[in-house]
Amino acid sequence: MILNKTTLSLATGVLLSCALSTAHAATVIASVSEKGKAQLGNAVVYAFPVAGLTESEKNGGKQIIDQIDKEFVPHVSAIQTGTSVDFPNHDKIRHHVYSFSPAKSFEIPLYKGTPASPIKFEQPGVVKLGCNIHDWMAANVFITDTPYFGISDASGNVVLRDLPAGSYKIYVWHPQQTADTNSTAQQVVLKDAESHAVSFTVEKKKQWVPFRAPTSAASSY
Amino acid sequence: MQRAATSIFQFKNFRTRLLIFLISLLGTVLGAVFFSVNQANISNARLHLEDALQLTANSFARSLRGREKILTEKVRLLSSDFAFKSAFATRDTETIRSVLKNHQQRVGANIMLLLSLEGETIANTTDSGRGDSSPALDDLLTAAMSSSHGEASAIQIIDNIAYQMVIVPLFTPEPSAWILIGFVVDDSFSLEQGEFTRSEVSLLYHYKDRPWQIVSSTLQDEAKSQLTEAIASNIVSTSRVFDLLLQGEEYLSLILKVQKGATGESIAVLQRSLDDALAPYLRLRTLMFMLFSSGLAMSIVGAIMIARGLSHPIEQLVKTAKRIENGDYSEGVTIQRQDEIGTLATSFNSMVEGLAERDRVQSLLGKVVSREVADELLSKGIELGGEEREVTILFSDVRDFTSLCELHEPNEILNLLNRYLTHMSNSIEEHGGIVDKYIGDAIMALFGAPVFKEDSPQNAVDCALEMQTEIRLLNHELAKDGLQPLTIGIGINTSKVVAGNMGSSNRLNYTVIGDGVNLASRLEGLTKLYGTEIIVSQSTRDLCPDLLFRELDRVQVKGKSDSVAIFEPLSVAEASSASSKSALHQYHLAIAHYRSREWDEAERLFNQLLVDDSDKKIYQLYLARIIKYRQNPPSSDWHGVAVCKEK
Repeated sequence: MILNKTTLSLATGVLLSCALSTAHAATVIASVSEKGKAQLGNAVVYAFPVAGLTESEKNGGKQIIDQIDKEFVPHVSAIQTGTSVDFPNHDKIRHHVYSFSPAKSFEIPLYKGTPASPIKFEQPGVVKLGCNIHDWMAANVFITDTPYFGISDASGNVVLRDLPAGSYKIYVWHPQQTADTNSTAQQVVLKDAESHAVSFTVEKKKQWVPFRAPTSAASSY
Repeated sequence: MQRAATSIFQFKNFRTRLLIFLISLLGTVLGAVFFSVNQANISNARLHLEDALQLTANSFARSLRGREKILTEKVRLLSSDFAFKSAFATRDTETIRSVLKNHQQRVGANIMLLLSLEGETIANTTDSGRGDSSPALDDLLTAAMSSSHGEASAIQIIDNIAYQMVIVPLFTPEPSAWILIGFVVDDSFSLEQGEFTRSEVSLLYHYKDRPWQIVSSTLQDEAKSQLTEAIASNIVSTSRVFDLLLQGEEYLSLILKVQKGATGESIAVLQRSLDDALAPYLRLRTLMFMLFSSGLAMSIVGAIMIARGLSHPIEQLVKTAKRIENGDYSEGVTIQRQDEIGTLATSFNSMVEGLAERDRVQSLLGKVVSREVADELLSKGIELGGEEREVTILFSDVRDFTSLCELHEPNEILNLLNRYLTHMSNSIEEHGGIVDKYIGDAIMALFGAPVFKEDSPQNAVDCALEMQTEIRLLNHELAKDGLQPLTIGIGINTSKVVAGNMGSSNRLNYTVIGDGVNLASRLEGLTKLYGTEIIVSQSTRDLCPDLLFRELDRVQVKGKSDSVAIFEPLSVAEASSASSKSALHQYHLAIAHYRSREWDEAERLFNQLLVDDSDKKIYQLYLARIIKYRQNPPSSDWHGVAVCKEK
């Protein structure tokens, strides 16, 4: 169910980009794997035109990060700078969403349902989301200026569509990656109506997780 | 005494023997019990202590884990504290330090540190800073990083103070820093643990290549340094219970590994005093010793009393037995007891009574019959019948006793008779004869019965001579009392007679029966006729070769066909006189002439003899016969035998 939702929001993002692109654009097919291991999901792959972004390419949209069953869904979100994100609470209890990240520090004190105004992310960077009253709830919002990005599925595959032909730097980012994003960037030249395959290997650092309190869902009657 | 010398286990004294037996028996048994119980107690105490120590170690380890968990939970609260996260987000070191101090206060910790994920100090509640003095925090970080929740706990030394440190990540919400909280571990920690486990508890820590140091301990300072020395010298076992001497007290010790990291390790040493554990056993030992000693002492006293209870009556019995040996039956033993000794005493007293009775009977018997006869009767038993043996029989009689009786009162006569018989009986007994019976004033005495004696005939003759002397002494006494003198005649004959008990089965006499007895009686009767005091038969005279006799006659006594030669023994005075001897010789010559019917020669010699001894009746007797035979010569078969018609 969580997976479906993720796919849904992913698809929304891709469609949005497609609508704004020309029909003969290039496609990047990226494959992300963890070092020494299998394919890596939840990795953000994004491409910057070496020539720089045009004004038409800079536009924020809207995004939703749900709170379902005391978890953020999706765990990793990628948005273009200027995107407004809604945090609808689907649980019966309240949540207190916060971020101490420099890219966007905010707090939505205890609330139910969807807050009246969404949070607008106006700086590129990484925002770590947490819930004040549920230590284990955590989510990542990757904010980037480029409209060309995608998140790897469970198989580690990402498809970036409708990229105008040209020279691009393709990056990968993962919440636990140890290396700097620039060090793993790959420069490619894309041509119209052609697909270009790239592969990334990400080295993950160890992640300590807080203890999770027993959930009502986990102990469903 | 000689037997005692042959064996050292032979004791003269019953009490000593009983005592030595009891002491050695009880001593061995009690000693063995004491020794084995003591050994069993000590080894049991050790086993018990080792078990207890293992349990203590488990309990201590659990307690340590429990404490860690509690401390970790305290710190975890902080790691999720939103206010703290907010403060951390400010990146303002002083604010962060102030928050740390606030939390330190809240949870009652002694130190708090905030480290970056890389291990750099962000904030520290102590003023000194961690510096190089705490390299072992690296162990803690390593442990935290390798755990799933980023949490770890360990004993750490910071600025020479031991802390139980807990590390947790600060989640904002991802791990962004390390929070460290330390709680001081000092002696009070050990005291608390020691109180809980009732053991000596010491916690030691050391950095790699640095000496062990005691972080916390219930031990005294001196013992502490002894303990670190022992641990440092590696003489102790790290897996098993071992003995350690601290301040002269023996401890059973067990080492518990608390943690071991790359830079340092800590151990706990749990100890229990062996002396303390043995204290109840020592009390038991003392009690046992006292019980055993008093038991032994009581046994000794009891043995002495038993021995005395036995030896006392035995001594009394011995004393009484000795008195009885000396003929004193006046009292038996006085032991009033119900046991075997009492039975013995009763039997002993019965025996004394029996002995006394027998002695009385014997003494009475000795008065009624002679001592020899009494002894014979008592030794052989009384039964009718006798045996033939050669016995010399002596008869004595007071002459003219009947006319004497007429002159005096019967009482006086009895008195006189008793005096006379006592004198005569004494003489007879002195010469080994026995008085067979008194027949009025006559005495029948036996020599050579019931006990045969070789020189009985001579004794009898000697006795007769002394009886004559005695009668003269008695007459001397009687004269003083104004009484008439007594004269006695004595006849002696030696003959084979039957000696034995005669009479009925209920009443019997020991006496002799036979012709010889009658002859002795006849000879006594002849004394008056021949004017002699003693007449001895031929058979007796032949058995007395050492004595001199005067042949009196050849007589044929009444009731006898054979004639018998009769003799008169010469008194000692006569026998030693030369004139008497020559007179005797002339007399025997005269008798020889007489028997050859040479009346004139015989008459001449008798007349010569009569010149010297005019009172001699025997000479007159023969002179009268010579006159008679001249007128009426005897028949041709006459051989000088006189026929006595009198009894």
